Amino acid sequence: MNVEFVKTTCPYCGTGCGLVLQVRDGRVVGNYPDRDHPVSKGSLCIKGWSAHEFIHHPERLTAPLLRKGETFHPIPWDEAIDLVVERLGRTAETHGGDAIGGLCSAKCTNEENYLFQKLIRAGFQTNNVEHCARLCHGPTVAGMSQALGSGAMTNSIKDFGGAECILIMGSNAAETFPIVMGEIYRARDRGARLMVVDPRATEVAKNSHIHLQIRSGTDIPLICGMMRHILDHSLEDRAFIAARTQGFETLNEYLGGWTVERAAKECDLDGDRIREAAETYATATEAFVVFCMGITQHACGTANVLAICDLALLCGHVGKEYSGVCPLRGQCNVQGACDMGGLPDVYPGYQRVSEPRIKKKFEHAWGRELSDRPGLTVTEAIGSGGGDIRSVYIMGENPVMSDPNRNKTIAFLKQLDFLVVQDIFPTETTQFAHLLLPGACFAEKTGTFTNTERRIQLLRKAVDSPGEARDDFTILCMIGKAMGLDFDYRHPSEVMDEVASLTPLYGGVHFHRLSPGGLQWPCPADDHPGTPFLHKENFTRGKGLFVVPEYTPPVESPDQDYPYIFITGRMFCHYHTGTMTRRSPSLSRETDKPFVEINPVDAARIGIRTGDAVRVSTRRDAIVTTARITERVSGGSIFAAFHFFEAPADALTIDALDPVSKIPEFKVCAANLRKEKSDGVS
Amino acid sequence: MGNRISHGVEGHRQGERRAPKVIVFACRWCALIGADGAGKKRVQLPLDFRVIPVECAARVEPDSIIRAFSYGIEGVGVLGCHLGGCRYHNANHRAIKRLDLLKKLLATVGIDSGRLLTSFGTGHEYHQFAGILKDFFQELRGLPPLDEWARAATIDAIKV
Amino acid sequence: MTILEQARQIARQSLEQGRAQGVLGLREAEGGVSPHLFEDPSDIDSLVVEPKWLLAKLATGILKGLPADYRLAVLCRGCDERAIVELIKRNQIDGEKIHVIGLACTKEQARACLCTRPYPSEVAVGDVVEGVDPFQDERARTFLEGDQRERMIRWATELRRCVKCYGCRNSCPICVCVPCKLEDDLWVGRGEIPADLISFHLIRAFHLCDTCVACGACQDACPENIPLMLLQISMRASLVEKYGYEAGTDRERRSPLLSDLTKEPSPGCEVPGWMDSLGDSA
Repeated sequence: MNVEFVKTTCPYCGTGCGLVLQVRDGRVVGNYPDRDHPVSKGSLCIKGWSAHEFIHHPERLTAPLLRKGETFHPIPWDEAIDLVVERLGRTAETHGGDAIGGLCSAKCTNEENYLFQKLIRAGFQTNNVEHCARLCHGPTVAGMSQALGSGAMTNSIKDFGGAECILIMGSNAAETFPIVMGEIYRARDRGARLMVVDPRATEVAKNSHIHLQIRSGTDIPLICGMMRHILDHSLEDRAFIAARTQGFETLNEYLGGWTVERAAKECDLDGDRIREAAETYATATEAFVVFCMGITQHACGTANVLAICDLALLCGHVGKEYSGVCPLRGQCNVQGACDMGGLPDVYPGYQRVSEPRIKKKFEHAWGRELSDRPGLTVTEAIGSGGGDIRSVYIMGENPVMSDPNRNKTIAFLKQLDFLVVQDIFPTETTQFAHLLLPGACFAEKTGTFTNTERRIQLLRKAVDSPGEARDDFTILCMIGKAMGLDFDYRHPSEVMDEVASLTPLYGGVHFHRLSPGGLQWPCPADDHPGTPFLHKENFTRGKGLFVVPEYTPPVESPDQDYPYIFITGRMFCHYHTGTMTRRSPSLSRETDKPFVEINPVDAARIGIRTGDAVRVSTRRDAIVTTARITERVSGGSIFAAFHFFEAPADALTIDALDPVSKIPEFKVCAANLRKEKSDGVS
Repeated sequence: MGNRISHGVEGHRQGERRAPKVIVFACRWCALIGADGAGKKRVQLPLDFRVIPVECAARVEPDSIIRAFSYGIEGVGVLGCHLGGCRYHNANHRAIKRLDLLKKLLATVGIDSGRLLTSFGTGHEYHQFAGILKDFFQELRGLPPLDEWARAATIDAIKV
Repeated sequence: MTILEQARQIARQSLEQGRAQGVLGLREAEGGVSPHLFEDPSDIDSLVVEPKWLLAKLATGILKGLPADYRLAVLCRGCDERAIVELIKRNQIDGEKIHVIGLACTKEQARACLCTRPYPSEVAVGDVVEGVDPFQDERARTFLEGDQRERMIRWATELRRCVKCYGCRNSCPICVCVPCKLEDDLWVGRGEIPADLISFHLIRAFHLCDTCVACGACQDACPENIPLMLLQISMRASLVEKYGYEAGTDRERRSPLLSDLTKEPSPGCEVPGWMDSLGDSA
């Protein structure tokens, strides 16, 4: 009987739940939660349960496709590989290596991301390698590295259950990390206080004890107000500050300019609530700050993260098993893609490209000369309008849907000499490619993902890719070998062994050590058991650093012409650009139409009811979508999920960037709203 | 309607008890006759109820009753024939068994089982029908409003 | 012999002696534990019996594609076997094709599940322990008894954590309906969480009213720890009290809801002429 059960890891969010795929005659016919998994423990969210539904979809890319005019034609693999090598090589020769850009993938494995950045770096002597972390947790990596020395979640997901207080900032975890939310509820059941900071009244907020419904983008005033109150009432952890931190005096001085009243005014909150939140957090013995896009996707995103670190250091709530600072990494392998050096300024393990000793180490390992100039971030490259970058290789990313100010993104892609896109489905981005390479989805490859709690877990191949599609590891090896690079790997495990030899954080990571349960980095040696929580004795940088968080209000605030705050985000049944979820029946059944959330008071004033067609416009673009009247958004704000290609919310967003991490301000811009008449005329 | 479990909650002013909304499934072989009769005789009845004729009380899926409560309807009645008199081979027996079990489930989650009125053979005269309905409304008035469910499931609840 | 050794021995013998062509159980391999269809006796060395994993659901799917003469042995705890019995009664599984290898639960396991019957009808592996009465459990009681208003708040507070994962429905061994009512927006609203507290959860619970075998797979699968199985307890208790009926314990006896009052509670019993919930009956 050809019935097999294959254990693997979910391809959606950064929780990294365990799946058991049921395979019959080469097809995935069922999907069950892994009851043996240390994190998900036999649960899945609706996306996890439906993770197998898109695998055998008829729209899967099944052959390399070359564009001729407006249509794509299948070509054999060797022709495709030769074309990639020839065209990218030509660009490098003519314009230099820095004219090449590569986008690797938070949905591909660690091994594939490692090979990708090795290809770009060793193959073209450039550090123009990037991926979508730029759009989500770039500020986290930048801010937490500066304050604590490490940009990753300090604890494990299971640790939430032991907290006395959990402060959730800018995270709709009930919809985006349901399994993590379960751990948070477990804490609540044991008496923990939950506090939520979010301009929207999400389910997380409604199920918590305190909801601080701040004005969008005022997180730093809130935290400063809280810290001021904590200091005024001597609730800070003085012993911790003295023993384990630096820079308190500078912060203390800065906080002298803040009061709870000033914060309350800035945030549009009741001062007593701020006091209550501050006292609850400070007086708890064990407390977490959990945060996500509501904190990072601002033009002051890095400063927001620094403010959170300041708060945690002030109260001594980091470096313990049940206390810490926890960014929830969104993609199944965005942590891994960052860890593997899919960033323009670091090699695998966050080793800086500009450091001569590191450069030498990798040159020696890879047998090629490397560049010591940090590369361009994707937001800068697109924002500049192009010119610097002439050819781009995209693996498993959909920037046309996910980057801000879509028209600029499209303009950038259109002016490229050569664009090769490697993906599993046609997307909004693939339509601009000169060449498409058909890759493999999670069920068709073996490799590792690193989840948000730094847990490196295995994926196991369950079925073959359709048609001529190959897994991305194979494609990268073909290209690398054709370029004369040392890409002679027989199996992804060999890639991880190489990573381990060059990356202290992954020093002891090998495939044979990953089952069951994976390993949490840092894992520097072969006999090291992994690290459930960080900064126990010392911070990664030695002492925790207090950094003054410079507050800048949102770049584009509502005005006469565009009177609403436009917030973009996610919903429970779709994932990011919808490439996978819109092709999954169980998920599109839930919602298959774009919508915009409008407060009842605003709706009444304009004369809109749920179901009406509405036009949402910003200075960048306009979309026509469907109204959903709900009290989830407050008056003066509207919210749209960005999953829907028919009404792409990210076309409207502003590409104003955080100066440090270059993340766009997805969470706030100014919009207008009108009812759309059925004949298309407003 | 999303996750608002009660249409009836919208417009409900703080503290004011609106007349409960009631749906009555009436089997057309007996209870419906009583309902029609009550109408013809212009018996004084509370206003806010609807009669839905069904072929047999057993035709009423418990799901419909549950759905009615989820819409905020305060009381649901299922009125059928007396126990020897079902036209459909004692289908009303099975209805009774089913509905008794449904009452257990409603009671478990705190939706008073008194909100589900069952009558088999006691509603087919017009005055019987009127009496049952009046008693039902009386009983419902004594219960906390169903939108307590909605309010219980809010942030205020766990501050208690 | 330990429980594990017993289980392996019996599973191996079933294959060697041709009592079954395959054994559905759990295997511990390099990846950890996962379900496995053992067809080769030498594989049985990797068979394990932990953690709790409902195999009845998997059996239903696997059996559909099997050749006519294939007998599938399933390593079953009490709840799994009860689920299989219910599925046989509902024509989802051919009883002739299933061979149950009965595995009894330990006292700790029974307590963890609040299980009243932690053993299958025939125990091949392990020793029978007494069941646990959920009504004796302090926490369970707050969901089943006591002040109605407090209970309502309790349930509403729990149910509103629902993230509409459908895990309860997906993992329930009895839930096999295609199409499923919970997917129909006439009954359950779409596109928001929580799933409609009343219509999703009570429709699901009531569909199982006479067929729930109290396996707890629903609440095991719930990521938000909602005590879903407690929804069923009063209905199950009522069926025991009125009809002496417990789902999954009898392969022949159909649900009492499917018969006249004159047959169940007991044949020829007195049935009133009329009755209503306002307190009258005669």
